[in-house]
Amino acid sequence: MISPSKPKRAELPGFRVRLLVAMMLVVSAVTILGLLFAQHRAAADVKRGLQLEFQSELDAWHAIQDVRYAALAERCHALARKPRLHAALEDDALDLLYLSARDELSDIMEPEGSPVETGGRVLRARFYRFLDARGRVISPPEGEEVGRLAPGDEARLAFNAVPDHAQTGYLVRNPDRADETIDEIMVMPIFSTETGEAIAALLLGFNPVELGGHRTVTAMRSGLWLQGHLHLPSLSAAARAAIEQDLARAVNASPPPENSMEVEVDGGPQLLFYKRLNPGSLFPPTYEVCLYPLTESLARQRRLLWQFGAAGAVLLLGAFFASNFLSSRLSAPVEKLAVDSAENRAQRRRAEAALQLTSEELQRSARFSADASHQLKTPVTVLRAGLEELLAGEKLPPAAREEISTLVHQTLRLTNVIEDLLLLSRMDAGRLQLEFSPVDLIPLIEGWLDDFSVLPDALGLKIETDLPPALAINGEKRYTSLILQNLLENARKYNCAGGRLRIAARPEGTQAVLTVGNTGRPIPRAMQEHIFERFHRGSSGENIPGHGLGLNLGRELARLHRGDLKLTRSDEAWTEFEVRFQLAPTNPAPSSHGLV
Amino acid sequence: MYARPFVLALIFFGASLSGGASGQAVVEGRVALPKSRYAPVVNQRYEVVAKGGVISLMPPLAVVYLEGTFPRPAALPVRQMVQKDLAFVPMLLPVQTGTRVEFPNLDNTYHNIFSYSPAKRFDLGRYRSDERPIPSEVFDTPGLVTVRCDIHEHMRGLILVLNTPYFVLSDGEGTYRLSGLPPGHYVLKAWIDSRTTREQAVELRDDTTLRADFP
Repeated sequence: MISPSKPKRAELPGFRVRLLVAMMLVVSAVTILGLLFAQHRAAADVKRGLQLEFQSELDAWHAIQDVRYAALAERCHALARKPRLHAALEDDALDLLYLSARDELSDIMEPEGSPVETGGRVLRARFYRFLDARGRVISPPEGEEVGRLAPGDEARLAFNAVPDHAQTGYLVRNPDRADETIDEIMVMPIFSTETGEAIAALLLGFNPVELGGHRTVTAMRSGLWLQGHLHLPSLSAAARAAIEQDLARAVNASPPPENSMEVEVDGGPQLLFYKRLNPGSLFPPTYEVCLYPLTESLARQRRLLWQFGAAGAVLLLGAFFASNFLSSRLSAPVEKLAVDSAENRAQRRRAEAALQLTSEELQRSARFSADASHQLKTPVTVLRAGLEELLAGEKLPPAAREEISTLVHQTLRLTNVIEDLLLLSRMDAGRLQLEFSPVDLIPLIEGWLDDFSVLPDALGLKIETDLPPALAINGEKRYTSLILQNLLENARKYNCAGGRLRIAARPEGTQAVLTVGNTGRPIPRAMQEHIFERFHRGSSGENIPGHGLGLNLGRELARLHRGDLKLTRSDEAWTEFEVRFQLAPTNPAPSSHGLV
Repeated sequence: MYARPFVLALIFFGASLSGGASGQAVVEGRVALPKSRYAPVVNQRYEVVAKGGVISLMPPLAVVYLEGTFPRPAALPVRQMVQKDLAFVPMLLPVQTGTRVEFPNLDNTYHNIFSYSPAKRFDLGRYRSDERPIPSEVFDTPGLVTVRCDIHEHMRGLILVLNTPYFVLSDGEGTYRLSGLPPGHYVLKAWIDSRTTREQAVELRDDTTLRADFP
């Protein structure tokens, strides 16, 4: 019986594990999603921060350049207005041009062969030249300190006509060689004081300002890109070529004045910024190129990833323990419930089995009593027939006749017992079903009273009745009269000599109440519980005919009538039984029996 | 403001030069001046203009002079070109070869007068109004000299050095009168700007006024 609960116990940890797994899955999913989101945000922040850093550095750098450019432009502008230069150009004194300029430009020129100064170098010019009204270079006289230039380089400074506004350009000397130098060229037209026409131009070559090694904060590098060549000496040739291609593509696609993009340089990603340095210039377009390594950003992102990964692991570990704890807490009542329910089920099965067994036994016993009754009925009938035949014979002595008559009477009693038993066993087996129809109690009572009056009255009973003219109940006449007969017969039998017997009937609500009282000996209180049991007979009634089934049968039948049979009073003076029936639905047409 | 009285004074001065024993020939006429891009206004301020390498005065004035070989006087008067209100006065000064020109500074600031012109290169250096003696230069090569100030880039003056004692500045309309001239055959020239000098042959007679226009 307990065996089915064993596998249940084995499944219980399974439930806990499943709960744990489910909780872990949810927690893991939430944690991973959250961490992924956070990591994504953090990485984006790092990147944006880096870009901002780069941008601000670049802006600072451009601000420096702008200030420098403004200073140089102002300086050039002031120089271009010098009266001596005007005099030399306008008064047919070109021989004095460079001579005068030497004095005027002495402070701006980098002393030749002097050691490189750190301060102010970016404002110093390496060379200067004048362009005539047609844009050609006015050759400086021999020995004049105007800064050395190879003839080829000098020729590259010429224009088709003197420019009418300031120009910025870059001159690459000794390209692709170790001593490659880039000069930042500034050309300032010299205007006639009176007419405002450009009559000549002053051309100055400066040291281009460089992102020097003193910028230790970041590894930002800058260079120039002009005429398809990138001049950034710290880069390898291959990287330069790659960036040149990228730049050419970017500038050709849409030439914005400035932009940025990501490039691969020597295997590492770098942020590249480019900006046109000389917009609107007659010189070839030149772009400033700044490279900002993203390796630090990548390292930071990787570090961030590790941190998030570790945080995630710790979180998941914590979540695992919490889930374990929670799942064990949560599964405890469920497990208890499972155990309880398993026990309950076992108990129920046991009870069901017992019930089944009892029911089978009951059926068997009912069937047995029915069978037994049937088997007994025929011999008893045969016995009585034989005895009555003997009684009919006239050869018998009167004593024997008396004896046989008693035997016949006993067979009649036996027949009654057998019939009662048969009826009871049918009821026990649940096979007795009443077919209800309205039955008037009054004719039944009166019929019995008629029978009673013809019987020899040994006790000298006085009978009282209190009956309505008609009282119809729901019942099957045969069994209703059986109840009445048992009750009235008992009242007669168990009465004292010269006693009273009272029959009363009345409707009460939906019920009909019939009381039968007599002046019999009182039933002891302890016995009152048992008088409705089978084969019970009052201890005092041994000399009274009966087999102890009447009250039991009466109560069972009354209950089949949806009523009841009770003992309502039993004392020295009076014993009274009460039987209740369901009233028949009120029918205005009175039963024909009611008139009998 | 100062130009016109000076011009008149020069005309008068030129006339007075001719006052000698050798006769009194007079030439007068009108020089066709280039169109001024300025509207003629009273008290027009003159400017020296260099355009396309051509130096002229704006509004234009002409210097008419008689070319020839004349005896050099023993002493030539000293002329002045003053700096006043950050400008040269007069702006155009015709002088005879060998004339000393003084450059007094009437402003209370420094000036540095110099010239890169081939006819006369000089540099007087920085000086103020109290500079004594007044810085001066002798102009002994004929030609046009542009005088500038190294400190004030807009200041410009012209000195026309002529190898003749007979010259006169025209007025704003180009009319001139040159008197006290010796009789004879000469070439009369009109300087209009650094590139344009018109000329015509004239025959001067005593006590005769010759009409000579430069179209």
